[in-house]
Amino acid sequence: MTEVFTGGCQCGAVRFRVDGPVRHASICNCRMCQKALGNIVAPFAEFDAPVQWTRGRPTLFRSSAKVQRGFCNLCGTPLSYQWGDHNPALTIGSFDHPNAIMPTGELARDNRHPVIGHADELSEEPLGSTDEERDILAILHSYQHPDQDTDTWPPGGGQ
Amino acid sequence: MNDNGYTGGCQCGAIRFHATELRDNPHLCYCRMCQKATGNLFAALVGVRHEHLTWTRGTPAEFDSSDAAARGFCSACGTSLYYRSLGGPHVSISIGAFDEPQRIVILYQMGLEGKHPSLMDLDAVEEVGTTEQNDGAEALAKIRASNHQHPDHDTEDWHPRQGGPK
Repeated sequence: MTEVFTGGCQCGAVRFRVDGPVRHASICNCRMCQKALGNIVAPFAEFDAPVQWTRGRPTLFRSSAKVQRGFCNLCGTPLSYQWGDHNPALTIGSFDHPNAIMPTGELARDNRHPVIGHADELSEEPLGSTDEERDILAILHSYQHPDQDTDTWPPGGGQ
Repeated sequence: MNDNGYTGGCQCGAIRFHATELRDNPHLCYCRMCQKATGNLFAALVGVRHEHLTWTRGTPAEFDSSDAAARGFCSACGTSLYYRSLGGPHVSISIGAFDEPQRIVILYQMGLEGKHPSLMDLDAVEEVGTTEQNDGAEALAKIRASNHQHPDHDTEDWHPRQGGPK
């Protein structure tokens, strides 16, 4: 039976579905991926099957002649990296179940942020001591799309 | 640069910022809201107090991810720029959006219930080189000649490549 992967952006305006298996999953440290995602790594999964955009479409930014990067223009979630006419690679964090996808390759290790590879040496911050944790505690009031497909969006017809 | 604070911005350069100083809280957050907001396995953030932060070009778009927080991004290229607790004393800026992310030492991690299994042992993941090594001189030359990413420093005059469907 074919494994089906679903996902989308934080607000849920853009949703995708793609048939497995994952052809290749990787983490890239290069400066273009860093700046595109505003992060220190960029995890992407590629599939042989075409990506079906089941709700909305990503907005595309052509970061170079070869590459277009897709994102949700309502909430900003980075969604895709597309080389030429190849199937777009999808950001692993935007899948509904990111832990089901294991990166097996790492790109541009020379440009690793110093923390990469040493994250387990970081101290673990207790819950409730920072502003960010207030958001976690407020998750029941979250406007994040659930980690599954939904028939209608936005839920309840909007905020 | 060290005497003049910290600069950064989005990939296309439509949004640029300057921080005179950072808070002492650079961290990784693995929670599912940060993951989905950033399409990533974690958000890497550092707080900048409002009085220390200037948006020197453009204004980020915002999405209210809950009644407690908003997340800023560039509506032209999609770079995730910040997490902001509503009414909070600072804006948590994406470390990868700084021009020199390596200058920012990450001190702690949180939201570990969402930590992706591959991050437990990243050094065991196979190293597969760089775009430069893998795609050949011709492809690399084409990317370099057409690179629309803003340089990692402020620019006086900049015309970002337009986003949108091609």
